[in-house]
Amino acid sequence: MRTPFNYFAPETLSDAHELLEKHGERAEILAGGTDLLVDIRNDMKQPDAVIDIKNIEELNGVEFDSDDGLIINAAATCTEVSSHTVVRDRYPFIVEATSELASHQVRNRATVVGNICNASPCADAARPLLCLDASVEISSLQNKRTLPLEEFITGVKQNDLAPGELVERVRVPVEMADARGANRKLKRIKGHDLSLASVTMVKTDAETRVSIGACGPTPVVLTGFDASTDVDELCSAAEEAISPIDDVRSTAEYRNFMIKQYIRELDEELS
Amino acid sequence: MQINLTINGNEYSREVDEHRNLLHFLREDLGLTGTKEGCGAGECGACTVIMDGEPVNSCLVLAAEADGSEIETIEGEASEGELSDLQQALHEHHAVQCGFCTPGMIMSLKDLLRRNSTPGENEIRQAIEGNLCRCTGYEQIIEAVLDLTGQLDEREELKYA
Repeated sequence: MRTPFNYFAPETLSDAHELLEKHGERAEILAGGTDLLVDIRNDMKQPDAVIDIKNIEELNGVEFDSDDGLIINAAATCTEVSSHTVVRDRYPFIVEATSELASHQVRNRATVVGNICNASPCADAARPLLCLDASVEISSLQNKRTLPLEEFITGVKQNDLAPGELVERVRVPVEMADARGANRKLKRIKGHDLSLASVTMVKTDAETRVSIGACGPTPVVLTGFDASTDVDELCSAAEEAISPIDDVRSTAEYRNFMIKQYIRELDEELS
Repeated sequence: MQINLTINGNEYSREVDEHRNLLHFLREDLGLTGTKEGCGAGECGACTVIMDGEPVNSCLVLAAEADGSEIETIEGEASEGELSDLQQALHEHHAVQCGFCTPGMIMSLKDLLRRNSTPGENEIRQAIEGNLCRCTGYEQIIEAVLDLTGQLDEREELKYA
């Protein structure tokens, strides 16, 4: 770490809020640290205060309730989420996505909420949660608010959090439990790699939803298609919604091609 | 700040800078230089240690976060001059070339063998997906684990030779 900072590990949410309030823009929230500590190392972030939220009991764990649906608290790691019995039974495509995120060493630390807050265009955990209509619960010393995940991720590595705020949890409505879903992630190697392009498709009896990663400044979700929508229509909607670029990992042309290919594969697999 | 932790069964109590990562704490403050720093960014796995039973990249953990935890490193493997079974298997199968990735590789494999006493080839490959070996010795590493777990027949050995 090049920049010295102070480390705080509050045990209550109100202590965390007070620290966030006090340090404002000079504070960073530490959950898994797998993005934050890299950013600090590379001088992309130079916080005065790093606030570890893992000792706050109510921000830990994964819960399922037949009224409230699935709750992924801010300190729940990818490994915790993907080994949770209810997630495995009723949201297996979340398990698929979070098991293919980085390597097992990273998944043992990285949190699902952190993956969303980091707001990378290729955030693997964001795709299934976007399809599931997840919402983000945010709080600060003065305020509490809830935002659809789609509105929370605002740009490349940008989210809607204001100084003083933290994400407490992500909530998936119970209506989406047992939806059929699957993922495709295009990588350069079979092991640990960021996606070149990625797709999640989720189908209920009523609806088909598709989310796409690494093909625009934010992950994109397509909703409002009924379950019997023709796959050609899904492909054209996808092509319209994404804005892939040429970069070190791939080309816009290849990304466009593979997204449509994957949508066709997933549509067949889930029909 | 003051931290207390257990490393390979030994208890340590040290004053540490709040911004210091676990890797630098192990290597520079405690002189446990078996754990290596490759990328420093969670890509290469050279710094893998086991923290409270789970392999993690020690470059991405603050020493402060490790307060109260139990850490296992490569220094906990050999005992009284004798290699551990896993080290011995890697040694016999020439699975160590430059050796830089080996301490992290062994931590990932140790975790795998705790969860699965007879891992198949794919499971071994998955277990080391976060450990890069640039001497490209992966085949020998897989062969060593298959042998250690009694799953290497003559035909397979030829394949990896």
